[in-house]
Amino acid sequence: MNDPIHINRRSFLKSSATAGLTLGMPTILKSNPLKTASDEIRIGLIGCGAQQEVLYDTMKNIPGIRFVAACDIMMEGRLKKMVGRIRSAFGYRINHYSDAETMLEKEGKHMDAVFVATPDFWHAPHTVMALEAGCHVYCEKMMSDTLEGARSMVAAMDRTGQLCQIGHQRRSNPRYLYVLNELIRKQQICGQIVNVNGQWNRSLGSSSEKTYPEKNIHHLPDAATLRQYGFNRNISRLLDETELRKRFLNWRFYKALSGGPISDLGAHQIDIFNWFLDARPKSVQASGGRSYFDDREHFDNVMCLFDYDTPQGNARAFYQVLTTTSAGGGYYESFMGTQGTINISEREAYTKIYKESWVPSAEWRRLVDKGFLKKVSAGRPSGSPDAIASYESAPPDEYAIPGGIGLNSPYHHHIQNFFQAIRGQAKLNCDACHALESEAPIYWVNQAAETNETITFTDEHLRT
Amino acid sequence: MSTHLFAACGQKDDSAVEPSPQSAASDRSEQEIALTTEIPREHREGTPQPIKMHNLEKVATDAPVLIVPKETALLSAGKNVTGSDDFPIIGELSYITDGDKEAGEGYFVELLDGLQWVQIDLDKAARIGAVWIWHYHLEARAYHDVIVQLSNDPEFKEGVTTIFNNDYDNSARTGKGSDRPYVETRFGKLIDAKNTEARYVRLYSNGNTSGDMNHYIEVEVFGIVR
Repeated sequence: MNDPIHINRRSFLKSSATAGLTLGMPTILKSNPLKTASDEIRIGLIGCGAQQEVLYDTMKNIPGIRFVAACDIMMEGRLKKMVGRIRSAFGYRINHYSDAETMLEKEGKHMDAVFVATPDFWHAPHTVMALEAGCHVYCEKMMSDTLEGARSMVAAMDRTGQLCQIGHQRRSNPRYLYVLNELIRKQQICGQIVNVNGQWNRSLGSSSEKTYPEKNIHHLPDAATLRQYGFNRNISRLLDETELRKRFLNWRFYKALSGGPISDLGAHQIDIFNWFLDARPKSVQASGGRSYFDDREHFDNVMCLFDYDTPQGNARAFYQVLTTTSAGGGYYESFMGTQGTINISEREAYTKIYKESWVPSAEWRRLVDKGFLKKVSAGRPSGSPDAIASYESAPPDEYAIPGGIGLNSPYHHHIQNFFQAIRGQAKLNCDACHALESEAPIYWVNQAAETNETITFTDEHLRT
Repeated sequence: MSTHLFAACGQKDDSAVEPSPQSAASDRSEQEIALTTEIPREHREGTPQPIKMHNLEKVATDAPVLIVPKETALLSAGKNVTGSDDFPIIGELSYITDGDKEAGEGYFVELLDGLQWVQIDLDKAARIGAVWIWHYHLEARAYHDVIVQLSNDPEFKEGVTTIFNNDYDNSARTGKGSDRPYVETRFGKLIDAKNTEARYVRLYSNGNTSGDMNHYIEVEVFGIVR
C-alpha cells in the first residue's frame, strides 16, 4: 500500500494536482450566500480532536456564527462530544458525518467556512476539497506533511478564489504585532538584528505515547476504517488493528503521517523568524537525533541554523525543539540586535526586552515616557568572584511591554481575522500563499538533519 | 482498579506493647499513616491556555500529604455515581470511581457547562478522612467553583458539611468559600475531610479556565467504616 493517501471510496483526490480537474472550478453555488457583514457565518468542522476543540472553544465566544455540520472518523468519541458541546452551548443539533467528502457534498452549499484540524497528512486533501466545495477554509498548521501538499493548497486557493487562512495564530496576536510593527520596525529598539534564537522545549510528559482505555477501545475506528483513511500509508504490509490504532492516536510519531517535532512545534516559531526578519533564509544546516525515543521514526531532538540576508544585513537564526526536557525557559523567540533584544512568546511571562548597556539610557527613557515600554529593572551584575570583569559586557537593563497585552485565548484574534475577512472587513493575516512563503524552509530541515548537509535554497526549494 | 497504597509515616515500633503517659505522642504516630495513592503518569498536551484566576495556588510538583488513621481505606472504588447531568457529553459517570486516573481521551467524563455536580454513594455511612480529586490533567487548567460536600442525606438538604469551597464570589450560591483555586496536575487535589461522618460525597464545579465544560477522571474517597 504505497499510494500517498488511500482517500475514500471514490478516490476523490488521487493527488492534489488533479483536484481542480475532479470538481472543476467552484461552480457550486451557495443556497444562501453571505450577503451582508451581519449575516451569520455558517461553519463546518473537519476533524473533531483536541485541536479542533481548542478552536471551537475560542470561536464559540465570537458572535455571528452558526455551526452546521461536523465530521470525524472517530464517531463515538470525538464526533459525539463535539455535537454534544454545540448542542449544549447553542441549543441546536448539527448534522454529523464520518466522512469529510460526504459532509462537503451534502452541506457544502449551506456552509460559508470550514475549519480543518485533522492529522497533517490530511490537511491538503481536506483543504482542497473544502475550497473546491465553495467554502472558505481555516486550516491548522503545518499546512501539510509535504511541500507538494502545501503547494496544492495555495493553488486551490488561487483557483477557487476562496479564502484560506493557515493557523499560525501568532500572526494575529496583538503582542507580536505590537513588537514587530511598533518596537522593531518603527522605534527600531533592536538596532540591527544579527541573531535570532528560538526554542520549544517540553518534557517527556508532553511527549509520551497516547493510549486508550481498554474498556472503551470500541470508540476507536476499526482497522478497515483506518486503512481507508490512510493510516496504513507507505507501508507495504497490512497493519493489524492494534498497530493502526496506535498510529491513529500517535500520528505525530510517523513520517508518513506528519513532519515530526520540527513541524509540530517548530513551524509556529520559524514562521515568526521569517515574518519578523522580512526575509527568507539562504540556507539551512540541521542536526537531529533519537536521543531518547529510539523507537520513533522522527528525531526527538532537532537543532537547525538558518542563514539570512535581511534588509538590515546578514543574520543567523538558531532553533531547537526538544521533546525530552522542559528546562531552559520553555518556548519563545528571541530577536537579538546590536542595541537591544526582544524575547517574545505566546506566554506573557516569557516576553522580556533588554537594552544593551552601551545604548544611552535617555533614548529608551523617552520610549518609557511615551508609553512604548516600561522599565522593569536595571542590569544586575552577577557579583560572583569568578567573573573576569574586563571580559564581560555590562548586564543589560530589562524592560517590558506596558500593560502586558495579555490574551484570553491565543487563537481568538486569528479566528476573528478569518471571520472579518469573510465579511469583507479585513485581509487575512496568514493566507496560504504567505504561510507557505514562510513555511517552505521548514520542510527542508528534516532532510538537512538526515543528510548532515547544508541545503542552499534555490527558488525551486522555496517556491509557493 | 488502581491499587491504593498506604505508606507508613515513620517506622512503627512493634516492641511498644505497654502504653504509658510519656509515650502518648509516639502512640499517636503509630496509629496514623501518610495517605498515599497511585499517581498517574505525567501526560500533557497542547498549547497551554492562559490561566487568569485570583489567588491561584502554586502548581503542585509532588504528591500531597495527609496523615490519617491507619485503618483508613479506599471506600469509593466501583461505587455508584449520579450527577446533575445524567447524559454526559462524553464518557460515563462510572469512570469517576473506576480507578483509572490516566489523562487523555477515553479516560474522563465530560459534563455539561454551567454549575454541575456528581455524587458518590458509599453504600453506608463512614468516617471520611479524605477526598482525592482528579478533574482533568491533560493540560494545565483550573476549575471554577470547586465545592466538596458530605452528608447522610442523598438530597443534600440536611446535615451538609462542606470540606472544600473555592467559590470566592458565591456564583454557585452555596456560600462563599475561602479555599484557593488550583491548577490540575497528575497529583490530584487531596482534601482533608476531618473524619466527617457521611454516606454521600457531592462535588461541584462550574467550567474551567480552558472551556465551559466540567470533567472528572477519578475521585477517591478514603475513610473508616464503623
